[in-house]
Amino acid sequence: MNSRKLLLLFLTGAAIVYSCNKNKLDQQALVSLDESSIENKEGVEALLIGAYSMLDGISAPAILADGGAGSNWIFGSVCGSEAYKGSRKDDMAEITSLEKFIPNASNPQLAGKWLAVYTGVQRTNAVLRILKKAKGISRADSLRIAAEARFLRGHYHFEAIKIWNKVPYVDETITYEAGNFRLGNKELIWPEIEGDLKFAMESLQGKMEAKGRANKYAAEAFLAKAYLFQHKYDSAMPLLQDLISNGTTAGGEKYALTNKYQDNFNPDQKNSTESVFAVQSSVNDGSGGYNGNLGDIFNYPVNPDGPGGGCCGFFNLRKYLVNHFKTDSNGLPDLYNFDVSDVKNDEGYASADSFTPYNGTLDPRLDWTVGRRGIPYLDWGIHPGYDWIGDQGFAGPYSPIKNIYYKSQQGHLSDASFWTAGSTATNINLIRFADVLLWYAEVHAQVGSIDSARYYVNLVRERAMNPDGWVHTYLDPADPAHGFTSTPAANYHIGKYEDPWPNDRAFALKAIYFERMLELSLEGHRFFDLVRWGIADTEIKAYFLHEKNTRTYLNDANFTKGVNEYFPLPEAQIDLSAGPDGVRLLIQNPGY
Amino acid sequence: MYFNQLTSNLSSRHAPVESAGHWISENRFQRLLQQTALLICLTCLVIRPAIAQEKITGVVDGSDGLRLAGVSVSVKGSSSGTQSDSTGHFSILAKKGDLLVFSFIGYETQSIRIEDDMVLHVLLTALVNNLNEVVVTGYVSEIAKNISGSVAIVKPRDLVAVPAGQVEQMLQGRVAGLTVITSGEPGSESNIRLHGIGNFGDVTPLYIIDGVQGDINSLNPYDIESLQVLKDAGAYSIYGVRGANGVIVITTKKGKTGKPAIAYDAYVGETFPTQGLHFLNPQQNADILWTALKNSNQVDSLGYPSDPWYGYGPKPLLPDYLVNLNYGYPANAAEADPSLYNINPGAPIYQIMKFSKGGTDWYHEVFKPAFSQSHTVAVSGGMDKSHYLFSFGYLDQEGTMLNTYLKRYTARINTEFAVDNFLRMGENLQLVYRDNPKFEKNLPDYTNEISRVLRVNPGIPVYDINGAFVAVDDPNFGPQSNPVGARVLAKNDIGNNWQVFGNAFAELDLLKYVTLRSSFGGTLTNYNSTLFHYGSYAGSSNSLAETSGYSRSWTWTNTLNFSRTFSHGHHLEALLGLEEISNYNRELGGSRQDFITDNPNYRFLSNGSPTLGITNYSFASSSYLSSFISRLNYIYKDRYILSATLRSDGSSIFGPENRYGWFPAVSIAWRMTEENFMWASTWLTDLKLRASWGSTGFYGNTDPFNQYTLYNGNALNAFYDIAGISSGAIQQGFSIVRIGNPKTGWQKDVVSNIGLDAILWNGKLSVTADWYNKTSTGLLMPIPLPDYIQGDATPPNVNIGNIRNSGIDLMLGSKGKISRNWRWELLVTFSHYDNKIIKLNNLPYIDANGGQTADNGFLVRNEVGYPIGSFFGYKVIGLFKDNEDVAKSPTEKDAAPGRFKYLDANKDGVINDLDRVHFGNPNPQFSIGINIGINYKNVDFSTFFYGSFGNDIYNGPGAASDIATSAVHRQRILNDSWTPQNKNGNVPRLEAFSYFSTFDAVNSYPLEKGSYLRNKSMMMGYTFPLSSLSKIHIKRLRIYVQAVNLFTLTKYSGLDPELYGYVSQVPLGNAQDSKSSFGIDKGNYPNNQIQLLAGLNLGF
Repeated sequence: MNSRKLLLLFLTGAAIVYSCNKNKLDQQALVSLDESSIENKEGVEALLIGAYSMLDGISAPAILADGGAGSNWIFGSVCGSEAYKGSRKDDMAEITSLEKFIPNASNPQLAGKWLAVYTGVQRTNAVLRILKKAKGISRADSLRIAAEARFLRGHYHFEAIKIWNKVPYVDETITYEAGNFRLGNKELIWPEIEGDLKFAMESLQGKMEAKGRANKYAAEAFLAKAYLFQHKYDSAMPLLQDLISNGTTAGGEKYALTNKYQDNFNPDQKNSTESVFAVQSSVNDGSGGYNGNLGDIFNYPVNPDGPGGGCCGFFNLRKYLVNHFKTDSNGLPDLYNFDVSDVKNDEGYASADSFTPYNGTLDPRLDWTVGRRGIPYLDWGIHPGYDWIGDQGFAGPYSPIKNIYYKSQQGHLSDASFWTAGSTATNINLIRFADVLLWYAEVHAQVGSIDSARYYVNLVRERAMNPDGWVHTYLDPADPAHGFTSTPAANYHIGKYEDPWPNDRAFALKAIYFERMLELSLEGHRFFDLVRWGIADTEIKAYFLHEKNTRTYLNDANFTKGVNEYFPLPEAQIDLSAGPDGVRLLIQNPGY
Repeated sequence: MYFNQLTSNLSSRHAPVESAGHWISENRFQRLLQQTALLICLTCLVIRPAIAQEKITGVVDGSDGLRLAGVSVSVKGSSSGTQSDSTGHFSILAKKGDLLVFSFIGYETQSIRIEDDMVLHVLLTALVNNLNEVVVTGYVSEIAKNISGSVAIVKPRDLVAVPAGQVEQMLQGRVAGLTVITSGEPGSESNIRLHGIGNFGDVTPLYIIDGVQGDINSLNPYDIESLQVLKDAGAYSIYGVRGANGVIVITTKKGKTGKPAIAYDAYVGETFPTQGLHFLNPQQNADILWTALKNSNQVDSLGYPSDPWYGYGPKPLLPDYLVNLNYGYPANAAEADPSLYNINPGAPIYQIMKFSKGGTDWYHEVFKPAFSQSHTVAVSGGMDKSHYLFSFGYLDQEGTMLNTYLKRYTARINTEFAVDNFLRMGENLQLVYRDNPKFEKNLPDYTNEISRVLRVNPGIPVYDINGAFVAVDDPNFGPQSNPVGARVLAKNDIGNNWQVFGNAFAELDLLKYVTLRSSFGGTLTNYNSTLFHYGSYAGSSNSLAETSGYSRSWTWTNTLNFSRTFSHGHHLEALLGLEEISNYNRELGGSRQDFITDNPNYRFLSNGSPTLGITNYSFASSSYLSSFISRLNYIYKDRYILSATLRSDGSSIFGPENRYGWFPAVSIAWRMTEENFMWASTWLTDLKLRASWGSTGFYGNTDPFNQYTLYNGNALNAFYDIAGISSGAIQQGFSIVRIGNPKTGWQKDVVSNIGLDAILWNGKLSVTADWYNKTSTGLLMPIPLPDYIQGDATPPNVNIGNIRNSGIDLMLGSKGKISRNWRWELLVTFSHYDNKIIKLNNLPYIDANGGQTADNGFLVRNEVGYPIGSFFGYKVIGLFKDNEDVAKSPTEKDAAPGRFKYLDANKDGVINDLDRVHFGNPNPQFSIGINIGINYKNVDFSTFFYGSFGNDIYNGPGAASDIATSAVHRQRILNDSWTPQNKNGNVPRLEAFSYFSTFDAVNSYPLEKGSYLRNKSMMMGYTFPLSSLSKIHIKRLRIYVQAVNLFTLTKYSGLDPELYGYVSQVPLGNAQDSKSSFGIDKGNYPNNQIQLLAGLNLGF
């Protein structure tokens, strides 16, 4: 045996020794952290941030699902008769089937919403689960974190119940590891939602360390809203009263309406005294636009030099909505005949054609809600009508405006790093104080104190009456950046309900419902309001009647009472609820 | 396989893959022979006899077109002899009238009498009977006749007969039991399945190249010396947890003793796009739309429809111009005034284009004739103690789709040295550079670029009135939307990789019968790609994404080999080994936007906007496999063969509980013709019966970190502006990114195989037949979880269920000589498999979405009792003929005359989701390959057919074109639509909307038969006679012309019935998708394009 043989034998020996070392099979995870690494304060706080980040309904791996949007622009507003899907006929046509109330159980927008809200639930449960194991967290912090997480869990389930009615409730004990995750939806889960929101309300402080966090009053407002959805007016009343008397924002400021209506939609004015709870939007933060209202990113006029880079002309508003804003000589709406004739509009006119806008009296909130021909569109210039609309014959003459940022904010409060330029720092208001006031009015009307109801409606109207807060004409229409005059852009006339309301609950409710449309339209509430009021079928059918001759694509729209108040559960999720025996625990909503 | 290892002591010792030490005794014998021969030659040279001996030179070719090296050449009745060198060249001293005898394993022995010629061209007829070939299998080399497992051998010549560029594609139809589905995209991977579909995900076999796991598509096909497909557990169980999809063992060429020889192989050719699909012209399209609008009551009070393009009235009017694709105008309209034209940001976009009344042929705007060429130069040679081979290859394969191509440069250096008489060392090294940018194929809903080509309105022109690209979908989407624009602008995108692949080895004869071998090898890959998005006309930003990364893997194998032939016909071999495999990869990527110019030379990340839209990322993964290998082989009297293997694998991918596995296998064979009682049979040359049973495993599809529940966060998915700062500041957060399952273990396969190999009439006919049954348990697949558990995390792979594949492989070969000048050769392969899911653990079924978002539900349901990938949905049993038909049929949502009538599967009188059925099966009933070769003197002709029969195809784009509002339509919508007059039509009534009872549900309407028979290759070659070449010092010259994909016989109406299955990423709706969703036409790069080539094989 020579040295070469020895060398090779030595190598063989080394190989054997090496092969016997079993530790090399203990592969540590790279890139991500395992559970034991985050069982501490930093980890749990970060998980909580992650749970907040699903409020916008968007997470990175998901294909854009407008249905998942935190704003509920499809389910709340399009389905609530405020707006068309918009753009062109064949552009995301699955939204049209929602708009027409003929959705399939496999509609991707519904799947997107389900994924968004239940991803939120999954994340809040991760917070609660890890929190229990985490070390080094003070008792106060632990309570706060649990309360914030349960607030969010309540909210996410609330979103689900609004859309699907009977849905599964998932808490932190439901895990993959435990194997207990096949859930049904036999019961309505209001008690569980209330439980989460109550815990949050009782455990949280009024003032939080950051403006975006849920505080005691946000939880209280959501709880009140949950009661309203169950028609538990007596339970809602003291909460609303407390909110109005004592409520503060997470920043510690007492709730109050802003002076100017439009401040609620201006990213420069966000987290105001009126913001009870909002989805925080952020731009130029390294996310490629993902944190800036991505679910609403198509909802800009098609003007390429306008906001959003001209993408993509969705969310065009309906004449039916615009007609609500007509006012009479007292500055009050016509509750009954508002829709008999349309506010004059430029449908059928090209932008080059001359056109004079409607000269009748209007509620000034109209032009902070609806972009229409001839009226300044924030600081983007006079809305030219036709040229800013994708297909006017399909989508009508109007553009949305509440979600639009100002041209002067472009670049620092907007972000072009997505493939459109429409990412914006505009918050999504989930509950603002005007909403609380109108609930309070509604509760008063329901329990019979009609005239108190009028008081709270008038509070909201009073703010809208501030002429400083109206849309004004440009100093120089050729250069909108130059600023505004103090001349109202249209014939605004708004007044309070001066006369005491008759002791007629139906009338009072009608007025309140109407006021909610004027104040809160395009904020994702309308459809859910109509359903909880029990008038979805009559209102929506009336609306379809209005459309019969103008939007032929709605000819086969069909709202069936007892069916279309809720949407079909995503078929894939039902199929996934099957056990080995094939029995599916999730039950589809009736009629689908 | 023309191994000359047996005649060369060095190369047999250095048998290409693992140790060949068990041939030691034979080798010594060979060595003796060779040395004797050498001595005799030397003697001949020294003692030159008085008789006029002359130097006879020549070259030896096989009838199969190969130069033959190592052919024994001797003078009958004398002791002189020699061998042909590595280029087939020989020279020997002989005198006129002598009889020269040429013999070589695998060929008929031939005698030639020396007359006047001093230069001979000898052609040896290849035998089907290759019983004595040395075949490299798992970690060892074996003699073909002694193999007890199922091993298929593919000749390198057959591989390169189809100029596909990539070896994977060349395997199609060559091996019974191996299904290869591929696409026409240069450089694309293929779906390769051995014996059916063994799991829900990656079914690619394990490729072992010179003993090391490698990337087959980096290989230059001309570098391949031999390729074996190990098909049963007896053959591949020794690869343990990596073996379940079958193993393909490849050895690369080695240098052979002799003077340096140079070989040059080249071809040039042109590929022609297919005919495309015949769509209706714009006027017909508009008429269909009008009918649909009327049928759906989309009309005004006068009964007239309207449309932004076609105006308003009783009949549609084709516009002369389109503006922004939104509106159509006649030529004299003010809106069509060219002075309004603008496509520059800063003013509203006003793109004016001439409406294409004749119809744009989008397919042929994107698919153009394409050039390809391939060149390989190899230099090889060797001396007694060292051998070398160097080869350089260049492949330039253009795809017919604009700017798709593969440019591949390969260099191979293989060397071997006998350091001592008991120590041999060597290396195999390959360097590869590939330039192969990819386009996005996996987009859902028929939106990839090829789908789009098939779905663009023919009324739209490619260019506008000023020659700029028309943006097709929407001006807001920018030039990318125009499929021609997208491809033209993709010109400067980069997609390349560099790879170093190979191994170094040492072999030591430790004891008389024991050889120790150590091999260390692996792959180092670097890659880089860039993707530039142009800004839209409407002013959205341009952007650049760049990705770079590397991966490395190494394999260290140490084996101890014992081989001894005992007296009385006992032969024993044993192998013990240890193997360690380590993998690591790391990637880095980023993107920027707002580049001041689209100039390709300016496309570097740092040139983009410093503030907006900056993203970057990196990630890594790592895994380790540690194994023990053993094998025992016992042969008695060349007739009873027993082989047993046992492997143990430990993998870092699985949790401690399920980390280790044992994989045993045993196979037996009986060579009946060696029995005394069989000697009487003259027609039966050889008959071997084989049986094997064994276990193997699979751990693919599984993330290295599958066992862990993991958390991280990035700005996109988990960060949140909790402080309400709005811009540029955001709080970091976490979310669950992976749900772990520490209990997951590997998939385990139990495989039984019974087969026979028969050679009849001395090779006139040969038959190999195999029956197999493969039960795969614990299939690895991500478990679909409800959204409230899974969220946006990756679900864990679990052992989800069991499937069974059983089938038959058949190979028939026939070779013969009609006359002295005419020879023929036939090879037929036949594959059939049955695939069935036999168990799913805790799941009733697994849905997959077949690459679509779930707007209509899932297309694929994997369910017990059904084959993998079977199509699921409503079965269309016809159209409702009239109202009466609707009334008497089961209640169906949106039922109306002219809409689909679905099967009421549960006969409850109502059509609902319980009536969905398995309506189609993408698995073929059988596939065949037929190779026919005919030689006449120096002319060779060969043709190769491949066919797949009995599979269903879901023709999504085809069905979509039958929707009346689609942009394109097939002829059938004109003739076959239901109308009150044509109640027997089979295309639904033309309507402006889709319904549950038309196209809004997954139904069987798009189903078509996918059977096809394709002439893959037809080739004619001519080999120049040696006499005409020797003057110019050329040893061999063959030229050929070839037609590829000359014709395909099929009834399928889409572009190509051969459909590559993509893994698609469709996160919504939770269905899992994988290569097990196949047979779905999503816009595939057709693989049936005719290619015409001319080539040459040259040897110096």
